[in-house]
Amino acid sequence: MTNLQRLLLASAMAIGPVAPAAYAADLVVGFTLDADTLDPANHRKRETETVIRNLYDGLLTRDPNMVVVPEIAESMTQVSPTVYDFKIRAGIKFHDGTMMTAEDVKFSLDRVVVEGAMGNGQTSPRQSLMGPVASVEVVDGDTVRITLKEPWPILPAMLPNQQIVSKAFVERVGSEGLATEENGTGPFRLVEWRKGESIIMERFPEYYGGATDIAPVGPACVDRVIFKIIPESASRVAALLAGDVHIINELPAFSIAQVNANSGTHVMTVNGTRSFFVAMNLEGEYFDDPLVRQAAAHAIDKNLLIDKILGGNAAPINGILSPDAFGASDLPVYGYDPEMAKKLLADAGFPNGIDVVMDTEGAFKDTAEAIASLLTKVGIRTTVAVGESAQLTSKWRLQGKAPKTGDMYFSSWGNGSLDPFDIFTPTHRTNDRGNSAGYSNPAVDALLDAAATELDVAKRAGMYREAELMINADLPYLYLWVPQDIYGVSDRLSGWKPSADSRINLHDACLN
Amino acid sequence: MSLGKLIERLLQLVPVLLGVSLIVFVMMALTPGDPVQIMIGDQNITPEQEEALRRGLGLDRPIVERFFVFIGNALQGDFGQSFYHRRPVADVIAERLPATIELSLVALIVALVTAIPLGVLAAIRKNSIFDKLATVGSLLGVSLPGFWFGILLIMLFAVQWNILPVSGRIGYSSEIETITGFLLIDTLLRGNLPAFWDAVKHILLPAITLGLPMTAILMRVTRTSMLEVLRQDYVTFADAKGLSRARVLFRHALKNALIPTVSVAAIETGSLLGGNMIVETVFGWPGLGRLVVESIFLRNYPLVQAAVLLYAVIYVGLNFFADILYTVLNPRVKL
Repeated sequence: MTNLQRLLLASAMAIGPVAPAAYAADLVVGFTLDADTLDPANHRKRETETVIRNLYDGLLTRDPNMVVVPEIAESMTQVSPTVYDFKIRAGIKFHDGTMMTAEDVKFSLDRVVVEGAMGNGQTSPRQSLMGPVASVEVVDGDTVRITLKEPWPILPAMLPNQQIVSKAFVERVGSEGLATEENGTGPFRLVEWRKGESIIMERFPEYYGGATDIAPVGPACVDRVIFKIIPESASRVAALLAGDVHIINELPAFSIAQVNANSGTHVMTVNGTRSFFVAMNLEGEYFDDPLVRQAAAHAIDKNLLIDKILGGNAAPINGILSPDAFGASDLPVYGYDPEMAKKLLADAGFPNGIDVVMDTEGAFKDTAEAIASLLTKVGIRTTVAVGESAQLTSKWRLQGKAPKTGDMYFSSWGNGSLDPFDIFTPTHRTNDRGNSAGYSNPAVDALLDAAATELDVAKRAGMYREAELMINADLPYLYLWVPQDIYGVSDRLSGWKPSADSRINLHDACLN
Repeated sequence: MSLGKLIERLLQLVPVLLGVSLIVFVMMALTPGDPVQIMIGDQNITPEQEEALRRGLGLDRPIVERFFVFIGNALQGDFGQSFYHRRPVADVIAERLPATIELSLVALIVALVTAIPLGVLAAIRKNSIFDKLATVGSLLGVSLPGFWFGILLIMLFAVQWNILPVSGRIGYSSEIETITGFLLIDTLLRGNLPAFWDAVKHILLPAITLGLPMTAILMRVTRTSMLEVLRQDYVTFADAKGLSRARVLFRHALKNALIPTVSVAAIETGSLLGGNMIVETVFGWPGLGRLVVESIFLRNYPLVQAAVLLYAVIYVGLNFFADILYTVLNPRVKL
C-alpha cells in the first residue's frame, strides 16, 4: 500500500466510527441478491420472494419443516377434487391501516391467474405456479373459492408462493407503483429500499400475528430487519465475522470451519431441495447403451465426493427425488465398484474405454472434475467443458425439437415445493422442458401424468415410487445428491431456523 | 476548438450509437439462451402458460420487427421494460448509475493523487531503491486481481481491525435524501457530516481496489514523461539560470510532464466504469456493472441493450473530453 493511501485511511480512521442513532434491535441479513421488484405477482426469483415474504403474507405458508399451514386463511376445505374453499381470518390489517377482505384475496389471485391481468397485456410470470385455476370467487363474505379446470393435488403445496395485496392500493398505484412500494399484511413494513444495496424494514405493530400453527404468534420480535445485499460469498462471510450482519445465506462449504471457529458465530444447515445429477445423452454414441450407463454409475463414489467436496453436507440420492420429497422411498443402490464398472464397459464393447466430454457451469467445475476423475479411472475418460448456464440449457434442454449433441451434462433441478410434480415430470417426461438426457419411457410418462391429478395420497405416493424404480433401472441420469443449504449466523440470534425452501422468514427471530 | 468541429464530433456520435445498437441487438439475439426458459427456471409449466409469458415480454414477435421497435422507441427515450424488474430500464439504470460514477471518480482521484507524486519521485530519484520499489509496486498494482485485493482489504480493515465497513455505500442507520445521487456530495449539501464520513468510510476500500491498477499505470506514465521532460533543454536552461530545484520541477517540468498522464487518465476512466463489476460484487456496491452482468446471464435484453448504449455514449464522451483536454494542456496540438 502506498503512503498516500495509508494517509487517507489513517485520516478516515481518526474520525472514528460514526454511530447515528441505531435502533435497539436491527437484525441484518447478508443476502446474495437484491429483490427485482416488491410486487408479489410480478417476479420469478426465489430471492425476491424471500424479501417479499417478510412484507406480505399469503393464504397459506410453510413452517420450518415444510408443513403447509394456514396463514391469512383460517381454514381450508376441499369441497370436491377441483374446488377448494378458504375461510379468511377476520381482523387482518394492511400496513396502511385498512382492513383486508376476501375481495383483496380474490383480486390478488386473479392478478396471478388471469391472462393479461398485470396491465399492458402482461401476464403474471407466476401464473404457472397456480396450476390449472379456472376461477377465484368470493362465495360469502369471508370465504374464497378456488375452482380448478382439473384436479391438481399440489395446489395447497403451491399456494404459499402467492401473497395477498390490497386491491384499493394496487388500483391506486398500478403495477408499476407496486414494484417499488408495498402495502402488505406481513410482520414488517418497508422503510426504504436502496436498490442494489439494502432493503430496510421495520416491525408492523398492528400485525395480526401470523400463522396460528407457528409459535410465537404476535408482532415481530426485532425492531428492524435489513436485507443487506452482498453477492460475493467471501465478503458475506467477512461481514458475518466482522459482526456487520447476523445471518448470511449460501455459506460455502469450505467456510464452515472458519465460521464455527470464530467466537460469536456458528453454522446452521437444513436439507435443501435441489437434486444434482449427470445427464447422459441417450441419443449419443455411447450412453444409448444401458451397460455404459451402469458402468458410469458404479464408477462414482458418491460418499467420497459428498465428504471431500461438500464437507459432508449432502444426502445421496438414487432417483430424482430428495429423501424429504413427497413419494420418496428407498431405491436400489449402484454401489461404488470400479472393477464392475470396467467389466460392464468391456461387456458393452469398449474394453479400451471411451472418451467423453462432460458439460457443466463454472460454479460446479470443481465437483465436475472430481466426478470426471472417478469416471476416467474406470475407462470413461472424461473431459470437463465449462459453459454458461443459459447456453448449456439451450444445448441440453431441447424438448425434442432438435437432435441432442454432447455426452454428459452435470446439472441440477430445484424442487422448492418438495412435490415430484415440479421435478420428476420436467426432467423425465418425454421431451419435457428439463429432460436433458433425452429419456423417453411411455410407462413412466403414463405414471407421471396419472400422479399429477391423483387425489388419493397413498396411491399417488405409490405411483411416484413405481416411477422412481423405473428410472433407477433405466438410469438416464447418474443421480448424485441433494446438498444442504448452509447459513452462517450470529450467536446473538434466537428464534430462527433455516427453512428447506430457502426462505428467510424473520417474524420469529430475536437478537439477544 | 471551433463550434463547427464540436458539432462535427457530436454528429459522429450518431453512426457510432446506431452501430452499437445494431451490434448489441444482434449479439444478444444470436447468443444461445431463451429468456423465457431462464425465467421459468426449474418448474413444470404448460406450453400455453409459457406462450403467455413470451407474449407479455414481446418475444413472440420476429427479431427484425423487435429491432425496429427498439430503435423507434429508443429514439424517443423509451428503452423498454426490464424483464425482471418489470419497470422501465431507464429507471432501473438511473438508480444504479450514480453509484458507479461516484465510485469511478473517487477511484480516479485516489489514482491521480497517488500516482503523480510517486511517478515524479521515481523519475527524479531514477534507479534509486525508491524507483525500483515503485516499479515493482506498479507491476503488482496492474497484476493483482481486484477480487483478491478487495477481499484482502476487507479481511484487514473490516474483520481484523474493524475500522471500515465490509460492504455497501452508506450505513443503514444514516438517513439520506438524495439530490444528485452522489452520496459524498448529497451528505455535504444536506450538512450531514456524520453521514458524509460514513459514506467516505464505505467508499474507501472499493475506490482503492478499483483505482489500484490505474494508479500503477498512471505512475509509470508520469515517471516516463517526467524523465523525458527532465532531459529537455529548457529544463537544463532553467537549472543553469540558478532557479531552485523545486521551482524547476514543479513550474517548468511537471506542467509538461502531466500532459500524457492526464490524457491517459481521461481515457482510462472509461475502463474504470467497465472494470467496476468485480469491485461492485466484492464490496456489495450497488452500481451498474453488477446489474449489467447479472442481466447478461439472465438474457434481460432490454436492460443490456440500454446499458451498452449508455456505456458507448460515456466512452465516446470521455474520448472527446480527452481530446479537448489535450489541446488545452498542449497548445501545440490542434484538433
